[in-house]
Amino acid sequence: MSTTATQPTRAMEPKEFKSDLKPIWCPGCGDFGVLQALYRALASVGRPPHEIAFVSGIGCSSRIPGYTTAYGFNSVHGRALPIAQGIKIANPDLLVVVAGGDGDGFSIGGGHLPHAVRRNVDLTYLVMDNQIYGLTKGQLSPTSPRGLHTITSGYGSMEDPVNPLLYVLAYGAGFVAQGTPAEMPGLTAVIEEALRFPGFAFVNVQSPCVTFGEEEQQLRAHKTHMKSLAALGHDPADRLRAMALASDYGRELYTGVFYRNPEPGPTYDALVRRRQADLSPGAVPRERVLDRFRQDGGR
Amino acid sequence: MATPKLDLSRLSLKDALDLATLIEEEAHERYLELADQMDKHRTPGAAQFFRFMAENEAKHGAALSAQRRARFGDAPRDVTRAMLFDVEAPEYDAARAFMTAREALGVALRCEEKAYAFFAEALAYVNDPQVKTLFDELGAEEVSHQDMVRRELAHLPPGEERNGEAFVDDPNPQ
Repeated sequence: MSTTATQPTRAMEPKEFKSDLKPIWCPGCGDFGVLQALYRALASVGRPPHEIAFVSGIGCSSRIPGYTTAYGFNSVHGRALPIAQGIKIANPDLLVVVAGGDGDGFSIGGGHLPHAVRRNVDLTYLVMDNQIYGLTKGQLSPTSPRGLHTITSGYGSMEDPVNPLLYVLAYGAGFVAQGTPAEMPGLTAVIEEALRFPGFAFVNVQSPCVTFGEEEQQLRAHKTHMKSLAALGHDPADRLRAMALASDYGRELYTGVFYRNPEPGPTYDALVRRRQADLSPGAVPRERVLDRFRQDGGR
Repeated sequence: MATPKLDLSRLSLKDALDLATLIEEEAHERYLELADQMDKHRTPGAAQFFRFMAENEAKHGAALSAQRRARFGDAPRDVTRAMLFDVEAPEYDAARAFMTAREALGVALRCEEKAYAFFAEALAYVNDPQVKTLFDELGAEEVSHQDMVRRELAHLPPGEERNGEAFVDDPNPQ
């Protein structure tokens, strides 16, 4: 999170981040809990809505920008990360949050993720992973488990799912966590920590699709089998152990912080600013950029 | 500004009244949200009942807030909404499209039960005797609300249970 923007001067209330637009998700959808956790995390961080930008792609969860009072850009399918990177580099003082689903992030947008991670742009990427394309009525998504029966896999999926946690850890993300709306305090805490992390922060939220999801993916099931990484004694500074735990994606539901880089490197946006400062002494001022094309050379 | 934690052992009567008000406020807002969801998904019976519950929670909240003002005026509040999660508010997961009025009442009953459990369990950690008395009273109120919901349930004719499968398309190979 940028440290150059205004520091909180008063305690903010979650409802200050809630817009008048009412969510149209199916009742019981996991995304309601994610949105509530997000409001609370934003209030704790204390940045006013005009210093925050939400960027999303397409999907149920990509409706999130409209449900907040912050700046919002509900963009095109899979392209939230490039747009968010541009916003952050152009206006580094903004707190930029990217929200979307597993299809948006790991399928059509899958090519953008490693580059956003390796650049270490200071973004928070919140994925609502429901293992299905819910908005389009239940097709296989990149995180659907092998064997899943959907309208595009009537005889059962023949593919292994993408492992989002292992994927971002392998590319070097500085902050990787997972949560579920079945445990709201923990989900709020990891989102808040991600928002505060200085660099690319990734939170995978197991947010079930109540309409097309399987019974064992619903919040009731999460409550019976989720395991807290903190309770297991996991040290979030241990990246290799984090990768070993992340390998269980799809078999175990771990919640909490998998990895937090104890010595975060410089962010891309900070490096851009530094480069601009280094080059600016010899740079032509903006109002004189076109002078070289004038007949008199600008004299 | 990290999220503050609720420490029941240090709760004063002012804090306890504020906490109870916030619990009612959260429940009021959540019932309204669920009512809106039901409206959007053409489930008017459940929407109507959730609005009724929202009004009840608002009334209780207003009564607690008045009690707080009478005793402590405008003294600053030390407890916040960030300290509590779904104490009396229904969880989002409790709602379903096309839920019946009976199911909606079942949601409310479970909420009154969990609110009672909260106040009962909190007593073990509370030190202030005035707070203990207040929590005893609030717990008893939750029991009376449970009775109210049970009475409403008894008035409902036995109806068909919701068929959740009717909401989704069958998975047909394409």
